[in-house]
This record gives sequence, C-alpha cells and structure tokens, in this order.
Amino acid sequence: MSAMSGLPILSILVVLPLLGGLCLLPLGRRAELAKVAALVLGGAEFLLACGCWLFAASPSPAGAPPGFFLFEDHSWIAAYGIRYTLGMDGISLLMVLLTALVTMLAVLVSWRSIHSRVGLHFSLLLLMESGIMGVFLSLDLFLFYLFWEVMLIPMFFLIGIWGHGRNLYSAMKFFLFTLSGSLLMLLAIISLYLIHGAQSGIYSFALTALTGTTLSPATGLWLYAAFLLAFAIKFPLVPLHTWLPDAHTDAPTAGSVILAGLLLKTGAYGLIRFGYPLFPEAARMLTPLVFVLAVTGILYGSWVAFSQKDMKRLVAYSSIGHMGFVALGIAAWTPVALSGAVLQMVNHGLTTSALFALVGMLDERAHTREIEAFGGLWGKIPRFSTFFMIFAMASAGLPGLNNFVGEFLVLAGTLKIAPLTTALAFIGVILPLVYTVLLVQKILFQEERRPLQLADLNPREFAVLSVLALGDFYLGLHPTPLLGMLKLPVALLTGGMP
Amino acid sequence: MNGAELWIALPLLLLAIGSLLTLMVGALTGNDRIAHLVAIATALFAAHWSLQPAPLMVFPFSVPSLGLSASIVTRTFTFFFCLMAAGALVFSMGYNQQRALRGEEYPATLLFATFGMVALAASTNLLTLFLGLEAMTFGFYILVAFDLKQDASGEAGLKYLLMGAFSAAFLAFGIALLYCIGGTLDISQAMRRSLVIGPVHPAVLAGWGCLLIGMAFKLSLVPAHLWTPDVYEGAPAPVVAFLSGGSKAAALLLLLLLLPQAGDACLLRAPLWGLALFSMVLGNLAGLLQNRVRRMLAYSSIAQMGYVVLALIAGLAGGSGGYQAGAYYALAYGVISLAAFGAIAVLERNGCGATLEEYNGRGTTNPLASGVLALALFALAGIPPTTGFTGKFLIFTSALKSGEIMLAVIGILTAAVSVYYYLRVITCLYFKPAGNAAQGHVSFAEAVVLLAASASILLFGLFPSSLLNILKILG
Repeated sequence: MSAMSGLPILSILVVLPLLGGLCLLPLGRRAELAKVAALVLGGAEFLLACGCWLFAASPSPAGAPPGFFLFEDHSWIAAYGIRYTLGMDGISLLMVLLTALVTMLAVLVSWRSIHSRVGLHFSLLLLMESGIMGVFLSLDLFLFYLFWEVMLIPMFFLIGIWGHGRNLYSAMKFFLFTLSGSLLMLLAIISLYLIHGAQSGIYSFALTALTGTTLSPATGLWLYAAFLLAFAIKFPLVPLHTWLPDAHTDAPTAGSVILAGLLLKTGAYGLIRFGYPLFPEAARMLTPLVFVLAVTGILYGSWVAFSQKDMKRLVAYSSIGHMGFVALGIAAWTPVALSGAVLQMVNHGLTTSALFALVGMLDERAHTREIEAFGGLWGKIPRFSTFFMIFAMASAGLPGLNNFVGEFLVLAGTLKIAPLTTALAFIGVILPLVYTVLLVQKILFQEERRPLQLADLNPREFAVLSVLALGDFYLGLHPTPLLGMLKLPVALLTGGMP
Repeated sequence: MNGAELWIALPLLLLAIGSLLTLMVGALTGNDRIAHLVAIATALFAAHWSLQPAPLMVFPFSVPSLGLSASIVTRTFTFFFCLMAAGALVFSMGYNQQRALRGEEYPATLLFATFGMVALAASTNLLTLFLGLEAMTFGFYILVAFDLKQDASGEAGLKYLLMGAFSAAFLAFGIALLYCIGGTLDISQAMRRSLVIGPVHPAVLAGWGCLLIGMAFKLSLVPAHLWTPDVYEGAPAPVVAFLSGGSKAAALLLLLLLLPQAGDACLLRAPLWGLALFSMVLGNLAGLLQNRVRRMLAYSSIAQMGYVVLALIAGLAGGSGGYQAGAYYALAYGVISLAAFGAIAVLERNGCGATLEEYNGRGTTNPLASGVLALALFALAGIPPTTGFTGKFLIFTSALKSGEIMLAVIGILTAAVSVYYYLRVITCLYFKPAGNAAQGHVSFAEAVVLLAASASILLFGLFPSSLLNILKILG
C-alpha cells in the first residue's frame, strides 16, 4: 500500500480508460480483440477503483480538504488560477466504484448485440467512463465543467449510431437539453470565480477557495439557480425530464445501462459536491422548490410508469421516480437523509442497470419490448425470470434488498424537517410496488400470449446479473460498511447547516 | 537598410521573393505541382524564420523608418499566417487538380495575400497597416473568383470585390481623418491623440466610424455580412479555409493594434455592442435554417466573429483580459477553419456535394476527413476539450469581468442554439447510412495537415498557458 501511495492513482483512474479508448479506435475490423481489450481495461479500472478502498481509512494527505483521503493538485492554467485538482472522499469512492462496475458490465452486456463499428462502440464506452470518473473526482470547477461536458459526446454517438427508433431525434434532444443547462452553469461558475477574486484578490476555481465566497442574497440565488438548472436536467427532475424517456427508449442496451446507472448520478453528485456547499443560503432558500420537484418526480414518474406499454419506457419512468428520492434526501440535507440519498444513488445504479440489461436481453431474443407480447416466462426461461423477479422487487423497495435501505433512510431523515413532504413521498414508495407487481405478473406468470422461441440466459449474461444481484443483496442486508464510509464526508457537508 | 531592418523585414521579403519565384518556376516548368511545392516551402521557411529569437540589435523591436515591428505578438501572428498559407496550399494541390483549376498564379497569389497579412501584423504605421490589409484583400479578390467555370465562384468574386472596395474606401477615409487630427501616421501616437478623454473632435468620431464600418465588412459582422455566405459557398474550399482563418484573424489583429492604444476607447462601446449582438443572434439563427454546409459555416463564422467583438468590448474597459481573449479566439478560430474547410476540401474532392444530405455516411467512407470535420464542429460549438471551448471561456470571463452581463448571457444562449446546426452535420456524417459513395482517398500531405490542425485544436485547448503568456501584453 505504501508503494502505491506514490502513484497518481486518481489520474490513472481518469486517464486509463481514455487512453484505452483511443487505442481501441483503430480496431474497427478486429471486433473480438476490441471486446476483449475493452473488458480487460474495464476490469483493470474496477480493480484500481477497489484498490482505492484500501486508502479509505488513511489520513488526509497534505493540502487535501478534510475528509479526502486521496488528493492530487497541480498547476494547470496559471494565468486564470485554474488547477488540476482531483480528490476522493467516501462519496466519490462509492461513485467511482459504481462507475467502474457498471462500465465493466456494460461492456459485457453489449458483447453480442453490437455488429457494426465494434471498436468504436467499446472505445466510446471507455471514453465515457473516463469523463464520468473525472466528474466524480474533480475539485476544481473548471476541470469539473470540462469533464461534465466531455461525457456528453460519447453518449451522443452511442445513441445516434447504435440506437433504434427515432435515435437521431433522441440523441440530439439529449445533447441539446443537457448542454443548454450546462452553459448557464458555466456563466455562473465564471461569475463566482470573479466575485471571489474581487473579494479576496486570489483568482481561483478551487472548490475549497470558492466555498468561502460571500454573496449577496440575490446574486447567490441567481448563481445557484443556474447550477440547479444544470443538475436538475441531468437528474432529471420533473418537468425537465422529457429527454430521458426518449434517450432511454432509443439507446442501445449498454447506452441505457450507463445513462441510468451513471449519467443521472452526476447531477445528484454535482448538487451534493458543488451546489449546496457553494451556495448554502440560496440552497436553503430554494429547498421547498426542490422538495416539490422531488415529490412531483416521485409521484409523476410512478404514475406514468403505470401506463407504459414498452418495458424500457417503464423502467425509464420508474428511474425518474427513484431519482426523486435522491433529490428528496439531498434537499433535506440532514446526515441521515444525505447518506440515504448517496446510498440510493448506488442502489439505483445497480438495480436500474440490471433492469435495463434484462430488458435488453429480452429484446435481443424476441425483438420486441412490448409488455403485451410476453407471458409465462417463469416456466420457459426460469433463470432469466428469477433475476427479473429479484431486480423488480429490489426496484419496488422490498425489505432485504438494496432500494429499501436507501428509501428508508431518506424518508427517516426527511421526516423531521418536512413531515408533509415525507408523507406524500411515502405514497411514492407504494406506487412502484403496484406497477412492478403488475409487470411481473403479466410477463412472468400469466398465460403465454405469443409463441416466442426464447433461450435462457447464457453464462455471460448470468455472470453480469449475478454480480448485480450480489450487490443488491449485499447493500440490502449489510449496508453498514458503505454507510460507515459516508459518515465522515456527510458529517462534514451537513455540519454547516442545521 | 541596416541589419536590424533587414532582420525585421525578412519574413516579408521571403514571402515576396517566394511569390515571384513561384510564378517563375511555374512558367518555366509548366508544372503546377512544383509551383505549389515552392510556395509551401516558402511559407514554411518564413514561418520558421518568424520563430527565431530576435538578435540584440533589433531591440526595441521596431524600426520607425520602415513602420514595422517584430514584437512577440507580431511574430506569433506571422507564424500563424504562414502556416495557414502552407496548409491551404496543401489542400489546394489535390482540390485544384480535381476541379481542373490550373495555373501557377494561384499559389503565387496566395503567397501574396500572406505577404499582406504579415505586413499588417508587423505594422506600426497607419499607412503600412492599410497597405497590408489591402494587399491581402487584393489577393483574395483573385482567389475567390479562381474557379472560373463555376458561376457561383464568379458571382462570389464580384460580390467580394464590390463590397471589399467599398470597405477599403471607408477604411482609407477613416485613416485619413485620424491622420488629420493626430498629425502623424505612427499608430501609437495617432491613437493616443484620437480619443482623448473629454470632448472629442467630430472628425475623430467620423474617422472611427469609417474605420468600424470598414472593419465590419472585413470581419463579416451584421449588418455588413451579406457577402459571406456567397463567398463561402462559391470560392474554392482551400481559399475559404484561408479566408476564414487567415483574413479574419488579420482584420481582427488590426483592431487589436489600434484599440489598446486609443486613449478613451469606451466611446466605441455602443457601436461595437450592437455589432456583437446582431452578429451573434442573426448569425446563429440564420445558421439554423441552412441546408448547405458551406453556407451554414458562413453564418457560423458571422456568429463567431460576434463573440470576438464581445471580447473586444470587454477589452475596452481595460484590465479584463478582453484583447487577450479576442486574440486567442482569432487564432483558435483560424485553426478550426483550416481544419473544417480542409476536411470539406478533401470531402468535395471525393465527390461530396454542397447539401447536407451529401454528407450522409461520410464517417465510414472518409473516416479521417469526417473525424476532423466533426472535431472542428465540436470546437465551433464550444465543447471541451477544444480551443473553441477555451476561447469561449476566456471571452465570457472577460465579458463578465468588465460587467457586460447582458451580452454574455445572450451570447451563451445563442451558443446553445448554435449547437443544433453543428450537430446536424455530425448526425449526417455518422448516424445516417451512406449513399453509394466509394471509399475516399486522402493524400499523405493532407492527412498531415488535418492531423496537425486537430492536434493543435486539442492541445492549445487543454494547455493554453504558453499562448496566453504571449498574448498577455495586449491586455
């Protein structure tokens, strides 16, 4: 471990997939080699991320903000006070682990379903991983913004090239929606930088420096609103969610898995890492708004999920509901609720990735995702059905599985602050149960509707789903290690606010 | 002419001699290829020379008798212009052959235009400045109309000539008025006397007005932008690359030489504000409506120049780094233009037409050119990690710093709108199935230039510090 501490391990986390992805680009014709290389790189990255866990107990290195056990800081664009600063605390560690895991599984999920431009596909998955890692590790706002926009490009191409249906429209909508929110955030970042520079004489984009800026209420509100807009679009909070169902429906399976599992988390992470700490007063002022949007999202997402005929759209809308809980936990900003929100991000990443993977597998076999087309799968493909059952129940919040823990903590943490909101959100715990049970009943247990020749899971698919299922059970039954990891960063974050 | 004067004037002399040499070689051998190679070698040699550290005798970097300087900014821009010329010439070799555009006068004229740009970059004297600008424009009058067999090229040439002559008249008159008031042609003195704090002589205002009208034409700012779409569409693609990348940077450099010297330039805020606003808004909105890629990029260029003017407005206030941001963006835009129109030249040589549909599926048949075009479009859209993003970041930082919040917000919203039309081209390149186009071909030299331009788009975007240090003296 001491030998490793000299390595710039965070930079390697960011750069390894980037370089790997670039090396895969010319491998367009040698598909098998590209796949194996992508898997090896994804696996190496995951091992590296697990390696970071070893440092979690070690003290902060010199110069690092409190709570950060890995830290790298180098001068970059000196004239503008821009630095290359990466840091990892408990929250980042969880997100990094999730990113590495989900990307690795996304490579496996798309093993057989990609037939054209294979090298490009896997290289884009890795480039995306690099961008997302950067978002979860940056502690300099310029650097953060850079990664924040860079990660859009691979997803745009994933949806556009390998998507189906109205993929051009969805890719464009995804890119424009998320970009236009971000651009205003860029202006807000610059304004904050200038205000801080004028106050202190030190022009810097470092998060630690900018948190100390004194802002007039009006200015703070405007700047925070720009940040909130960018993050709320990514989240997505209703009514800014309209890009999500389209993007999910038309994306290839790996794209959906990464979109749901990782991209949505960046919005929540941004709010936790940057939104609240930079603008505590404005954030407190707008908390009721976030509460309303969160609860609307929970109820609306579940409500619309009821009436979906396409399984992928159903999972997409249920995603909106689940992310509503994350927003609720963040808005409450109590230690319990915030831990719950972060945990819920991981839960949602595992469960929804698995559900999208399952729907993708079904789609590969039957070439349709219509709920009406399926029935009686339990008897025909038992292994698939078992996994479907596990993840559907996890998504519905069955105790013993992961989502329950996250939702419970969020609700418990929010109750004291906003009882009415919590009560409404509680309905949102029940609704998913209803539509999930209906879905399971329809496709697993009812009479077979169409004579479909379906093969059960192959070993590769079995491995992917087993890993995710293990994660679900682990988090559901024994979340203590992860909660322990979150304890310090969450306490440091919420310490400033009652 | 002593040693110092010779040293300063050498890039100019090299380009002028190279231009004549190209004409002679072409006439003697009758081989366009050799003429092109001579011209490229000249441009590269001049670029190389401009990087040499100045000997002690050249301090303090300017020779009043010649009206030329060799400051670090001058030499950076000289280097840039020469490389742009070399790049455009590389693309011309294949493009002209395929279009059956013959004649050694093409590379010679291109070098002559470069001569004008370099003279402009080096000038410390209003007269040299004007002569440099007009020498450059004169070259472009010919180059734009070079594709004689195409009506569009002739029409574009005529439009450019008429508009250009019109703007030259304004510029000359503006300079004359400023000379009348200042009593000197030396830029720094004339500028310092032109806009003094306090009541301003009406002739000075008229002079600056004429100058701005002339510059609006050269930079294709709304409402003086009408020539741009036709010229971008009609002229040979490598010429557009050079025009868009080189001549606009040169015109901008002229403003950058004049404005920081002016005493109280804040008087110019109102007209520049209007130019920036209309260029950003109209350029980007008109870009949405285009169905031809070159016309779309013409409107994009109008909008991009609007951002540069925003940087100039920020610079007027002083201490905001606006001029630095503007100069950075001018250089960045030049390289992006070279990449974009170079890629378009390669695609058109491989049978690609003008409309958006013609670009369908080129990502598979012409991977290199399409990849570079896509990168250039992302850069124009301001997506990191490109110079386009870093430049926009610098511009918006300086604008907010100088208090131009309204214009900055409008600018960033129009930038968000513009992303749509840039992405449209990328969707055509990669997401739509190819027609029956054959596998494309890229020559080695073209590949080198395309890759070099892409590399500088990425590298100077991620590591702008060295360039920013050079441009810092602009303020």
